[in-house]
Formats: sequence, structure tokens, C-alpha cells
Amino acid sequence: MIRNYFKIAWRNIYANKLFTALNIAGLAIGLCVCILLFAFVNTELSFDSMYSNSEDIYRVNMETSEEYDFETWATMPNAVGPALAQELPQVNKMTRLIKDDFGATASLKIDGKNFNENGLYLADSTLFNMFDFHFIKGNRQLAFSQPKSIVLSQSTKERLFGNKDAMGKIISVNNRDSLQVSGVYRDLPKNSVIDCNLVYNIMDSWMGTNVYWSNASYETYVQLQPNTSIANVQNQASKLIDKYVDKEGQYFTKFLFQPLTKIHLYSSDIREGYSSRLGSISTIKSLLFLSILVLLIACINYMNLATANSQKRSKGIGMNKILGANRRQMLSLFYMETGILVFISILIGYGISFLALPLFRNITGNELTYTELLSPEILLSLLVIWSLVTLIAGSYPALSMSSISPLSLVNKSKKKQSLTEFVRKGLVVFQFSASIILIIAVTIIFQQMDFIKNKKLGYNPNGVVALSVKSAESYQQVQQAINDLKRQTNVESVSAVQSIPGDNESGRSVRKLSTDATGMPISSCRTDGSVVETMQLNLLAGNSLPESIVKGDSIVYTLINEKITQYLGFKKPEEAIGKYINTELGDKSIVTGVVENFNYNSLKEDVGGYMYYKSNNAPESIRTLLVRYKTSNLSEFMGQLQKNFTNNLPNTAFDYQFLDTHVASLYASEEKTAETATAFSLLAIFIACLGLFGLAAFTAEARTKEIGVRKVLGASISGVTGLLTKDFLKLVLIAFVIAAPVAYWLMNKWLLDFAYRTEINWWVFAVAGILAVCIALITVSFQAIKAAIANPVKSLRTE
Amino acid sequence: MLLELNHIYKWVTQGGRRVFLLNDISLKVEEGEFITIMGPSGSGKSTLLNVIGMLDGFQEGEYAFLEESVHTMKEKHRSKLYKEYIGFVFQAYHLIDELTVYENIETPLLYKNVKSAERKALVADMLDRFNMVGKKDLFPSQLSGGQQQLVGVARALIAKPKLILADEPTGNLNSKQSEEIMKLFKELNEEGVTIIQATHSEANAAYGSRILHLLDGRRDRK
Repeated sequence: MIRNYFKIAWRNIYANKLFTALNIAGLAIGLCVCILLFAFVNTELSFDSMYSNSEDIYRVNMETSEEYDFETWATMPNAVGPALAQELPQVNKMTRLIKDDFGATASLKIDGKNFNENGLYLADSTLFNMFDFHFIKGNRQLAFSQPKSIVLSQSTKERLFGNKDAMGKIISVNNRDSLQVSGVYRDLPKNSVIDCNLVYNIMDSWMGTNVYWSNASYETYVQLQPNTSIANVQNQASKLIDKYVDKEGQYFTKFLFQPLTKIHLYSSDIREGYSSRLGSISTIKSLLFLSILVLLIACINYMNLATANSQKRSKGIGMNKILGANRRQMLSLFYMETGILVFISILIGYGISFLALPLFRNITGNELTYTELLSPEILLSLLVIWSLVTLIAGSYPALSMSSISPLSLVNKSKKKQSLTEFVRKGLVVFQFSASIILIIAVTIIFQQMDFIKNKKLGYNPNGVVALSVKSAESYQQVQQAINDLKRQTNVESVSAVQSIPGDNESGRSVRKLSTDATGMPISSCRTDGSVVETMQLNLLAGNSLPESIVKGDSIVYTLINEKITQYLGFKKPEEAIGKYINTELGDKSIVTGVVENFNYNSLKEDVGGYMYYKSNNAPESIRTLLVRYKTSNLSEFMGQLQKNFTNNLPNTAFDYQFLDTHVASLYASEEKTAETATAFSLLAIFIACLGLFGLAAFTAEARTKEIGVRKVLGASISGVTGLLTKDFLKLVLIAFVIAAPVAYWLMNKWLLDFAYRTEINWWVFAVAGILAVCIALITVSFQAIKAAIANPVKSLRTE
Repeated sequence: MLLELNHIYKWVTQGGRRVFLLNDISLKVEEGEFITIMGPSGSGKSTLLNVIGMLDGFQEGEYAFLEESVHTMKEKHRSKLYKEYIGFVFQAYHLIDELTVYENIETPLLYKNVKSAERKALVADMLDRFNMVGKKDLFPSQLSGGQQQLVGVARALIAKPKLILADEPTGNLNSKQSEEIMKLFKELNEEGVTIIQATHSEANAAYGSRILHLLDGRRDRK
């Protein structure tokens, strides 16, 4: 029996070549997208589960007080870890983890060669046991037994030392510490949030020995006793805050234990973590949603084409029933047919997914590999997808066709047909609504990206290069470099700053004198030299900071933005000039100038208070030189710049970054969203068109006789073409009416993420609508014209 | 008695008025009869055959098949009954296009869950009898009309029905092919199969033992 079904199903598939080709094309594309996405989600979900202790390891996060908007931070004072380990019996092991120099790029020197390094960490030695480090050289228990030891990953060893043995070699960090290599460990898995390239002992630094409860910069991981109640531990841990920190100093109120396996995907709202390997559950959700949508559109194609075909098939079904088939047997026949078709599509889709992998990597920005596509989970998921898609795509055709009565052989029952027609139209409307929503969404996303790129930021990031000087041996050296750089041709101005905009400023508060308890949180940035000129800030009143200050001058000179003057109650910027303000920086701070608000952060955030300051006793150090240049030959200019820089700072790696690139990188994830949405909408529209093409073909065929009669009665080719296309256009218009408000609502919501946003224009909708109509018209008219120019004698003769 | 129709009425409502398709039809059929239903187009021949074949229902009257009353029967029971005892032959043959001659003939046996070996034997016999062994792997589209109808008859016979209902079995055939099919029916009838055929052709009617004239859904007793 099964063999017989298989035979019939196969011959049906083979006989309807157009139907089969359209379906396989649509399904294969949809399935390919799904397979790639499953592979991607599979690796994302596997994060950190490979560690033997992963279920008992938690990262301690903390909830801050009102002053910091109750944000959750992943970093905390270095006193927290030791206190937890000491006071809570449930805590088995604890390690603190901090990037060297609070996350700035480190400059390494080995045998006189300089290297930039972004993965240099300090940690407690317990790190290696908690996270299953496998040492190829050295020993995980004894790695930090000698003071001033450093261990590095296999690939980092190869990068720094090549094939030579690294054990016992000296690495100089930022011209400050000399550390001896005591071990090489196998690279941590790609799906680990812990991403250390090099680790040295936190206890060799003041960061480990000088324990305090104020500065929150340290990630803290704990390994708990198996089966510990998290709520309990959190409570007990949070009580330690009252024990160790007096009321005024409590800027955090609660400790939250985050399971290790959740860190990768559920940290988008948690600030200040160090790992570069963070994903986002919302990205996964939206990708999953989009791929299911594409697959659904492909399934709908199948349903529509199969039921459209049912007129042709009804004779066979009726005959089978007269010969004794029951409904169940007919159901199995249709499911068999769907199953075979989906199976072929899966094979093809799986094949395409290998070819499309590089493209997929490019669009989504992840690093999926071929081996991950071959993993057993994926093969298993293929089986699941196969049965699910067969069930879903096969459901409607199977149910509707298996109920065709044997009477359909002898007289045509019209009623049933009108229902399937209605459902079919509904499904086409659904497909096109989805496509139109995607077109509108993509257009608005691109508009917003364009808006952001062209928005005046209040400073000019173009033509500025930032050079890192934090590993300079002395400030004199930096000073000398500034002077030399200023003399270089094509350099317009040079400013030494603590941070490029929105990167590494210090959080402070300004207060209205004496009366103000909380104050206004601001970003403060130390600078020497004229930032106004280099950044091209818009000076509203007063002057830029003084070029130089006399020795012994204890006054802090400040350049503030309008936001701060408004908070302090100055009606006009001019009023603030020369006034003393309370900035938490020494006794006296004086305002020398006021600049227009500028977007130092991404445009997703509104502008806050910002202050540049210059002082003899600045607590922060100069880390960056901003160089404004004007040149037509950038590579030559950069070569000179490097020569000049290395002359003055021979022991510092030439680490540079263009400011405009940095600004663009703030929107990298939106850029990815735009690309992904474009790819998905193109696929969705393409598949929907395949379906429409097939439907048009079937409709034309079903109406051959009608068309023949009309032509005999004198209808013109254009008249008949119009007749056939009109119905489809109506559907697309209905789809547009449904899609427009949904798209408006969705995109309005998306835009709310941005503090600065473009307006949603009516013409976007008009363009999307016209585009959809055009696409549908082109798709349908091919079939319509073909039917219209056919010779009516042929179509009328057969009946 | 094979079947008995008693005062069967069947109608459709068109524009608020009843249009009678069958109007007070009564008919008794004994096993082994060869009955011809004659009448012009639209006189209700096909409808009557469909009612007898239990493919279609009716509004009033009684229908007994092998002493069981069909009109009170559940749908499931009814379809079981016609699958067991009735074979159909159509004017347009209605072979399944996707299946070969062999498979078309085999299909009713599949639905009756006949074992594979027995199936083979039965189909082989049938092919033999109709001289179609050489054509068993061809598809319907590769056969002439007469050959297709032969397959249609073979398929109707394979399940060994007591009754064959033939709706204009020769309507699409030329005279030579017609004669062949009618001779076949005659032969089958002599073997004991009851046959009811609907036809326009006087020549075909001559093969039957009894003629029933229909006009506008009513027996026309002239």
C-alpha cells in the first residue's frame, strides 16, 4: 500500500513540473534560511555549557542606586569577591577578572618588538580551575606560584613568539610591568564568554592587593556548591553591602547572580562587562521570527499551488474513492506527496546552505563554520523540520482535497471550491502583507541610518585620528610628541585627551553649590590643548581652555556644555563664564567656556552633561592624542605620522583609530539589522512571487474555457490580460491596506530606540505599495498574456 | 432480489421551485438481469445510476439492496456496501492517469486489503482474459479509447461485484469498439453478473434483457 502511495505521489510530482519546480525552489530557499539559522542559534545557545562546572558558576552583577538609574552592572569593587568567598559558605571558589588598564588596549613588548593587545586580563588563580583551562605548557595549579607570572593562549603564543618556546620569556606590559611566561593554555572554545588571550595574577597588582568598596571595575565569578538556592545566596550577599559600606557610599544596593550559561545572550541590559563575545537574545528572536516567516511564506506557496491544482486532481480523488479508498487513505497519499517534495527541498536547501554560508556570515556577522552545519543537532533538526513542514504545508491541501466527494466525477460541486478559493486568497494576502511590511521596514531602517550619518553631531569626527599614548613612559615624552606632531605638514591641530568622545570618560557629578545633594551626573574628560579647535566644537561663550597653566595653580579650568549650564541655572551661556562651580575636582573649578551640546554618545542616547577640564592635579591620565589633519594622500600622511610618533615614543605601539570610523561603529548593530532585514525581505518577496506566478498559471489554466469563449465573443488580448491580472492586483491592494498600519506601528516602535530619529514619511508607504503592485503585475501578467494570446479553438475543442 | 427502488423522488430547488430529477421511480432488479435505461439527455439516466450506485442520495422513497434498506443506512456502511458489490464503468473511462494499466486494475484490491500474492494472481487473470498482458505497463494516455474502456471494465470487475453500473459505456467509442464492449457485457451477464447500463443507442439496448424508458425523471411507459 505504502509503495503504491509512494508511486502515485512520485508520478504526480513528476508530472506537474511547473508546480514541483516552484514549490521546491520556494521551500528550498526557506529551508536553507532555516537551517543556517538553526546552526547559528545552536552555537549561540551552546555558550559556556562545555565547562564541567558551568551549572554552578555565576557571574555576580550588581544593581545600582537611583543615582545611576538602577542600572545593572557586571563590574563591581574588588572587595566584593573576597568578601563573598569569606562570608558565604555556599561559595566554593571565586575569581575576579579585569582587563588590564580597565579595558584599554595594552601595549606589549617582547624582545624589543611592540604588540597591541586587547585580551590581556588580570585574574585570581582560581580562574584556571573554575573554567577548565588546559595547559599545554606549565601547570594549571602552579601557574601563578611565582610572582610576576603570566600565562597565554596557544594562538596568542604563536602570534607573539611564533614557533619559539615561550616558557620563561619576559613580556613587558605598557612599559610598566615585566612578566615571565609560566604557562601556555589551549585556546578557550569559541563559544566561551571568557575570552582571555593573556592572564596575569591580579595579586601581583594593586588591583588585587588594595581591596576597596568604591571603584566598580571588576567582574566577579563564583562557583557555588551544587544545588544552592540562588535567591538565598543573593540575599545573603546583598546583606554584605550594609556590613561593609556606609550609607552614603552605597551606590549599589543588591547583588544579582547571573548563571554563566546566560551571560552570552542575556547581558544586553547589563553594563560594563569585559567579554567581547556577547550575543543578544533579541537578535536571535528576530532572526528566528524572520526565518519562520520566510518558511511560512514558502509553505503557503505549497498550500496554494496544491489546492489550485485540486480541480485537476479531483477526478482522480473521486475515482479512487469510488474504487474503495477512504478519507484516511487519501490523506496519507497527500501527506506522502508533500513529504517527498519537502524531502527533496530539504536536501537542496541543505546543499545551498553550505554554498550560502559565507554570505550568511557576511550578513549576520557571525562566524558559523562548515563543521557546525554538520553537527548532529543540525542533522536532527533537519528531521524535525522535515516532519513539521510536511505537516504544516501538507495540512490544508490534504484536508481539503481528501474530502472531495466521489460525486465530483459526475457533477461538479461548486460550493466547496469557493471556500478553498477564499482561503487561497487569504493566504496570498498574508504573503504580500508580510512582504510589504518588510519593504517598508527596510526603507525606514535605511532612512534612519542615513539620518544618523548626516546628523550634525555638534563636533566634526571627520579628519580626526586618535593615537593611543597611554603606555608612554612619561608625560614629557607625550608633550614632546605633541609639539613634533603639530609641526608636521597637513596637521591642523593636536589635542591630548583622556578619551575620545563617549569612550573612557570619568563619571562625576556637578552640584549647584552646597544645597544640592545628588547633583547631575556628567562625563568629565581631562584634556591639554585646544579641544575646541581639534574637535571643531561650537563655542557659544567664553574661551577654550588655557593653553598652559602656571605651576602651583590649583584651579580646575573647565569647558562645559549647555546641558550643564542649564542644570546650574544659568539663563544664557555667557552668564556661566568665570563662575566657580562644584565638580568634585579639587576645591575650585572655574568655567572658561561653554560649548554647544554635542553627541558624544550614539544618537540612541540623548546628550547629557559633558565637561572638558584642565588642571595641574588631574586625577586622570592622558591616554589619547587627537590629531586633526587635512590631506589628500592619507596613506602617505599616516606613514609620516607613524614615523613621527615612533620617534618620540619608541616603546609605544602605534595604535590609531579614525574618529569617524569609531562613530560609525556605534551603529554597527543597526547596520547589521538593516542588511539582515533586506536579505530576508528580498527572500520573502521572491518566494511570494514564485507562488503568485504558479497561482497565475493555474488560474489561467482553469479559466481557459472562459477565456476561449470571451475571445470568440470578441474580447481583445489586453482585455483578457486585464481580466486575469485584476483579481491578483485586488489581493495585493488588500495586502497593502493591512500592511501599512502594521508597518507604521512596528517601525514607530523601532525608532523609539533612538533619541534622534527621522520622521516616517507617507511616501515610503506609497513606494512600498507601488513596488508590490509592480512586482505582482510583472509576475502575473506573463501568465495572463500567455493565456490571452492562446488560440480559443484549442481550448474550446477539448470539452 | 438484488435491489428494489420504491417511489424514489429526487429534486433540486431552482428559483424557489422544485425541479424533479427523479420522479416516482420504482424498479425491481433480480440477480442476473441485464437492464438498459434509455432516454434523451437530461431525462435522469445518470442520476438514477448514481442513486443505485449509492454515490448520490434522494429525498423521498425507499431503496433496498440485498434486503438492506440503503436510505436509512449510515454513510460508512453504505460506502462499504457499494465497494463490496458494485462496479462502475463510465463514459469517460475515468482511469487514474498517473497509474499504469496494471496498477489501475489493481487499485480496488489495494483498498480491499487483498494480499499481494492474491492481488497479482487476480490482476494477471484479468489481463489475460482481456488480452492486455502486453499493455499492462502502459499509461491510460497511451491507449486508444476502446482499450481504455476495456481497462475500465476490467477494473470494475476485479473486485468481483454482483452489479455493474455502466453510464454510457460506449458514448466515446466508435461502432467497432462499441460492439466489442457490448459483447463483453453480454458475456459477463451470462456468467451471472447483473448489469444496468444507461445508453442512447438502440443497438446497445438490444443486448439487454429489459429496457427502462425515462423522460424528465419519470418512467415513460408509452
